Parts: sequence; structure tokens; C-alpha cells
Amino acid sequence: MTKYALIIDHTSCWGCKTCEVACKQENGIPDGIKLIDVLEDGPKIFDGKLDFIFHVNVCRHCDEPSCVESCPEEAIERRDDDIVVIDDEKCTGCLLCVEACPYDAIAFDMENNVAKKCNLCHHRVDNGLIPACADNVCLAHCIYFGDPDEIQRRINAKHLGGERNIMP
Amino acid sequence: MADFTYANIAREMEVYGYESMIKSHCRMCHGGCGVLVYVKNGKVAKIAGDPDCPINHGTLCSKAIGSIQLVYHPDRLTCPVKRTGPKGSGKWQQISWDEALETIAEKILQYKKSFGAESVVMGYGTGRENEAVIYRFANLLGTPNVLTAGHFCYGPRLATTIITCGSNPIVDYENHPKCIMVWGNNLVISNPDCYKGEPFSQALDAGAKLIAVDPRLTRIAARADVWLSLRPGSDTALALGMLNVIINEDLYDKDFVENHVHGWEAFVERVNQYPLSKVEQITWVPKEKIRQGAILFATTKPAAIQWGVAIEQQINCADNNRSLLALMGITGNIDARGGQVLFRAPKIRNVSRFGAHNMLPKEQVEKRLGGNRFRLAGNFAIINPKCVWDAILEEAPYPVKMLFLISSNPVMTRANARQVYRALEKVEFMVVSDFFLTPTAELADIVLPAATWLEMDYIGDFWKRHGYILPRRKVIQVGQCRSDHEMLNDLAHRVGQGEYWWETFEQGLDYILEPMGITWQEFKKMEYIRGELKYEKYKGKGFSTPTGKFELYSTLLEKWDYDPLPRFREPPESPYSTPELFQKYPYILITGRRQPGFFHSENRQLPWLRELHKDPTVEIHPEAAEKEGILEGDWVIIESPRGKVRQRAKLFAGMDPQIVSAEHAWWFPEKKDPGHGWEESNINILTDNAYKSCDPAMGATHVRTLLCRIYPEKHKGNR
Repeated sequence: MTKYALIIDHTSCWGCKTCEVACKQENGIPDGIKLIDVLEDGPKIFDGKLDFIFHVNVCRHCDEPSCVESCPEEAIERRDDDIVVIDDEKCTGCLLCVEACPYDAIAFDMENNVAKKCNLCHHRVDNGLIPACADNVCLAHCIYFGDPDEIQRRINAKHLGGERNIMP
Repeated sequence: MADFTYANIAREMEVYGYESMIKSHCRMCHGGCGVLVYVKNGKVAKIAGDPDCPINHGTLCSKAIGSIQLVYHPDRLTCPVKRTGPKGSGKWQQISWDEALETIAEKILQYKKSFGAESVVMGYGTGRENEAVIYRFANLLGTPNVLTAGHFCYGPRLATTIITCGSNPIVDYENHPKCIMVWGNNLVISNPDCYKGEPFSQALDAGAKLIAVDPRLTRIAARADVWLSLRPGSDTALALGMLNVIINEDLYDKDFVENHVHGWEAFVERVNQYPLSKVEQITWVPKEKIRQGAILFATTKPAAIQWGVAIEQQINCADNNRSLLALMGITGNIDARGGQVLFRAPKIRNVSRFGAHNMLPKEQVEKRLGGNRFRLAGNFAIINPKCVWDAILEEAPYPVKMLFLISSNPVMTRANARQVYRALEKVEFMVVSDFFLTPTAELADIVLPAATWLEMDYIGDFWKRHGYILPRRKVIQVGQCRSDHEMLNDLAHRVGQGEYWWETFEQGLDYILEPMGITWQEFKKMEYIRGELKYEKYKGKGFSTPTGKFELYSTLLEKWDYDPLPRFREPPESPYSTPELFQKYPYILITGRRQPGFFHSENRQLPWLRELHKDPTVEIHPEAAEKEGILEGDWVIIESPRGKVRQRAKLFAGMDPQIVSAEHAWWFPEKKDPGHGWEESNINILTDNAYKSCDPAMGATHVRTLLCRIYPEKHKGNR
């Protein structure tokens, strides 16, 4: 079975937030809720040097997802391809998954009383399309979708300075 | 990943049931990225990047995607309106295009007859690639007065590069510079004129060394090999200091200097007036750091300087640009592969020809407002805004009776906003063409509904210096909105300019393309056209300057009675130029930090983009915040000798504690009263536009560096 992951190379991120808006366009998420969130870290001292970096917070699609464990309605499922999907229809808004997520990557839609998180655009993936945020919108080319081992190889190659990272 | 490809158009069409996909060219900023526009039920349903476009390689910014919310926004103006109450009353009545244009034409002709064509001032902001038609209309009308951002944005880059080396040298990111010096620019957020963040990012990934010159620790500065955190407004001194190192340590390109430079000895003499000890004092950058940056830049080939608007909105505007040009020149990076290139445009009728500057009678050129005061600007048909406000308010040197502002919101975006507001209140007749009733449009007599980039055919980027033109293809029609080009083409016929215009504006596009032997319909089928690519052109025929050389010593500035060599001027307000004022206003205020999603005063009403950044934000160093009793997220008052506004505090340790960094152009479309909160957070209430604080040659208003105090807005109980 093919495994899918969304991996972000934070050191390359410029904080342009195009991924956030690409996600909004694709998923029609209400104002105030972000399934992918570009956060500033710093400026602060790292290793004796003033540094400033962006961290993109998004569902990690964990190997052992605590959200899946926490959900009494079995509304969250880890698929065979490793994508962790939350089903709006089954969610009763108990908030247990929001509390269980160690990455603060599950948002809550108060208006509709449902938990919301990145489903890795599984509706696109199942149709042979790349998730919206990873579909080459990022000017830093730092959002990767696909097999996690392959992604890590590509990120390493990029940091060694060389790969022209246009197409997968 | 064999099954997945980026921007899989066929799959997208099939899966989502889109009717069509039209490739076009975005215009939500000064950039211009290739885009894929998917249409469903006759409406734009999705915007994605065009992977085949050489400008952006398929990537986009948030503004491009946000365009969907712009075109269908419920507040959007979709038919012409005229004001029925007093100015600022917010009382509007729908009228027909015919009535609107007939009224405008009548006024233009009446003012031209009674007060001269110069009493009609045309204007545009930064937005919709309409500069060529506006200049054409103005020049044929006979008014020398076109009010743009050109005095302090991009115009200075054109003017200073043309007088120095004939054109604007653009960084050749495609060929991966080995060293990039980013000077006061955050191009990954702002995507400025002729540049996109993407190719820059690629060049860094390919291993380029990075030098950042910025008072603030941007992400670019954080990634840099050398970060020169200079005192705001001291750029010319820093550049002259680096030049001093490069010259005195013998790191310059001897061949280039011997054979292709004008004024070397005088230039060296000037540079020698800026030893590092003095430059350190002026810039607050340690000598060793300056030397380190200079050596890295001069010894890594090819190298390039990424510059932008920040250094132009200062009293040292022209000399900032000229000293950076000198750095590019004497290191041998001008027109070098992987350096910065004087790209050739395709052989079309260029902006200058299309703009019909040669049709403006000489006696009208003489009447250009401020033309004698700001002579570099005047020679490039650029005027300083205060000259227009003064002509309205004081009627000197002659009265300005009518303003016709197209995609421009000067109440938010020009220095001394209160004077701007007074002038717009007083002017007899004002027309605005825009998407929304902005704080500026609310003072107009007639407002015309402008088309967005999704609603027009045009030759994208044909004014730029990166050497490409790209077709912008009309995708949809919204209400009665019309492109500025079509609108002016129509109006031109009504004011007697018909013979110089066309039946439809498509023929105008044919006219631009004619020298290439193609029509718009043919161009529309193409992806893009790139001009002839050639490096080191100067080796054959010299530079396109009066001496044929790279003019370190400008013969044109000398002719116009300016110092032909760059020099540093202390900012009009600073700890050194106004020490007494500094006692009362003890912080250096810098303005205009860019945010993703916004383009100057635009896009605050688009939910996806406003969500990225809800409130106007002022950065203050944690030490200063503690001293002033300010907490993260507090609404605070920023006050200069000219006024005060409120923004929200964000503690930011990445700058000198004496610096405060505020955002510009904030208004609040969600406030439905006709002012839309224009006074609340508008940083230009604090800026000054006095002539003596402007760049003496370019007339650039010094809006980037002033003095302020800052304190909590406690009385509102907003913690």
C-alpha cells in the first residue's frame, strides 16, 4: 500500500501564507478556522544567535494518532495509506480530540459544532490530485506530499544545495 | 509519486466538473504571475499557478487566490455612481456609463478651456497596469500633471538607472547569482516590481550566499550569512562605506572601471569621505561587519543586489539608488550572466511610446507641477503629490480644478494624510475609478466601477524591465465594470482625442504589438514572448547614457544642477538632525512593513486575506514595551509631531530597541460610515510631506523614517 504524508521543510518557509489561502479555497473552511497555520517563532536567541523562523502547524497524520484513540464516536480514522481523516458527519463536537492532539492541530468550528483538521485533501488524493497546499503553490517549494522516505531524501538533497525543486 | 503531477489540469477539470480553464496573468500586485483560472457555471471557481510560466513556475501568493473574493465581493461597485449629498455624506445614486462619461468629458473640456489643461490632474496608484493609457490620455489632453506613486516607488529606480546605465538592471535569478544582497526588501512577501520571491528562493536553494541589509530581522535576514542591521535612513552611508572597502582594498573590477565608467576619480574622492569609522557612527553597523559584507559581495561572482521601494521613500532616495548602482557596477555585475541584467523587452511599442509623451506640447511640459523644483522627477514626467495638494488648496502656481484618480487611494497612501483629505474635500470635481468606495472615492463626484484583471484582455508586464510580455485573458464580466483601458478609450472619443485612439481597445493592443507583426488575437494564443537575451551589451555599443559610460558621476544630474555624486543626508527627523525633538519623541518610527495578502490599501475586505492579519500592527522591542508599559496585543497610540493613530502592539526583538515599526495604508471597509475609519490607524497622519524633507531631485516623500512616541491606549479599557 502506498503511504502518504505531508511534510514541511520549515527552514525553507518564508511565511507567505499562500498555503493557508490555498486550503481555504479548496476546503471552504469558515473564517477563524485554519487547517494549516503559519506561525512565527522568534525573534529569539537560538544557539547564541538571534534567529527567526516560521513553523507551519498542520495535522501530522501520526502513526499512533491520539485523536483517533480519544474519539468516542469513531469519527476519526487512520486509513491504510496513513492519512488520518475526521468525518464531519460522525463528529458530535465533544472536543476530546482537540484536547488529545499534542500538536494543537485540531480546530473547532463553533458554529457547526464540529472538530476540523487537515484530512490531507483525501478527496483530492483519492482522485489522483495533490493536496491543495502542496500542489506547487508554495514559493519556497517547502511543502511536500507523497511517500515520507522519498520526501526526506528530497529535502536532504535540497539542503545540500542543488536540486531544482520544481516537479515531483 | 508517479501517479501525481503538479497542476494536473485534465484531472482537475474531470474531478470538479469545471467548464473551462483559462490561462491568464494575475495583477493583484506589481508582480504578474501566470495563473490557471478554472470556471464553473460561468464563474471563477478556482485559481492556481501556471507551472509553465517563467515568472512564477506555478507558485502563487495569497492575493492571487483571494482574487475570487475580490471579483464577487458584495460591496463591490458594479455600476457608475454619482454623489447626491455633500462630500463624505455617503449618498450615491446609480447612473449610466453614458451619463458618467458625458459628465466627465464636459467637465474636462470646461476646465481645459477656462483654466488650461494643466488644471486637470490625472492619477493612478500602484494597481492595475493602466499607466500607459493614463499617460496617453493626459498627454493628448495637454496636461503635464499625472499624479502617481512614481516619485517614491519604482519611478526613482527607473529615473536613476536610466541616467546611470540606460535601464533598470534586473537580477538574473534564472542563472543563479552566487551572492545576493537583499537591501531593504522582503521580496518573498512583497513580490516587488519585476521580481517574484520564487526565483530568489530557488537561487538560495542552489547555494547563493546571502547578505541582508535591513533594520529588522526578517526571515531573509535570519537566513543571511551577513545581516547588516543599519539605523533606518542611513542606507547611502552604508553603501558608500562598502564602496570604500571595495575600492581601497582593491576588490573592484579593473577592466569595467577602466573602460566603461565615467567619473572614477571624482567618485573615489567622494567615497573616501566615508571611511568606515565615520560610517559606523552614522549607520550603527560595526565596522567589521560592513567590511565583511563588502568583501563577500565583491569577491563572490556573479553577485546581485535585490532592492525595492523602502530605500526610495526617503530623503536620500536617488542617492540610495545611485550608490547601490555603483556597487553593482564597480564589481562587474552589471549586465553579467547571473548578475543584474539590462534585459531587452520584446520589440513592441513600449510604454513610453504608447504613453504619447512626445505629443505633450513643450509649453505644457514647462507647466508640470514641481517640475523646476524636483528636476530629476520632472524629466521623467513624475510629480510630487504635495505640489498637487498645494495647487488645489493655495491655487499656486495655478489652480487645479479636477482630479481623475484611477486605482488610487491617496488619503491612505500619501504623506500628510490630513492635507490630502483637505485637498480632496476642496477640489471642484473629482472622479475615481476603483473596485470599492474607498475613503478616497467617498470624496469623489463620480465613481466608476473598474474591472479586475480577471475581467480584461491586456498585454501583461509590457511596462516592465524583465524582458517578458504575457497575455492577460478576460475570463468573466462582472456587472457593468470596465477596464480602465476601455473606459479611457471611450472617454478619449468624447473629449476630441478620437483620432489617436481606437474603436475598441483591442485595436490598441494590436497597436502595441504591431512592430512584432502580430495581433492581440495571435498573441492571446501564445504563452509569452521574451525579448532578445544578450549579456554585456555595453561592450559593443556602450551604455545608453550621455557619455556612453556607466555614469558614477552623473552628467545629467550635474546639468540639472544637482550633486553628480551620491552623498548621505541625515533624515529630516532623527536623533542627530533634531536632537531636541528626539527628547520628546524618543523612538525612530519606520513604516510600511509588508504583510502577506495586502497590497498597500487593498484587500482588507477579502475574508481569506484579512484572516491572515486582522489588525494594523506596530512592532515594538520588548525592552521598550516594558519601559512604556505596553503588553503584547495592546492597542497603543503612536504619535509624531503631526498627529497620532492607533495600532496593535506586537513585541518584536529583532531590531534595535529604539525602533518602532508600523504598518501603512490601513482602513476598515467593515466600518460602513463613509470615512471607513481612515483616520484611525493611518500612518500617513504621522508622516510629513514638506518639500524640504523630500529628496531634492526626485521629490520622494520621506515616509519611512521619522520620530515618534508610543504609549498604551489605556483609557479605552481594551486589555
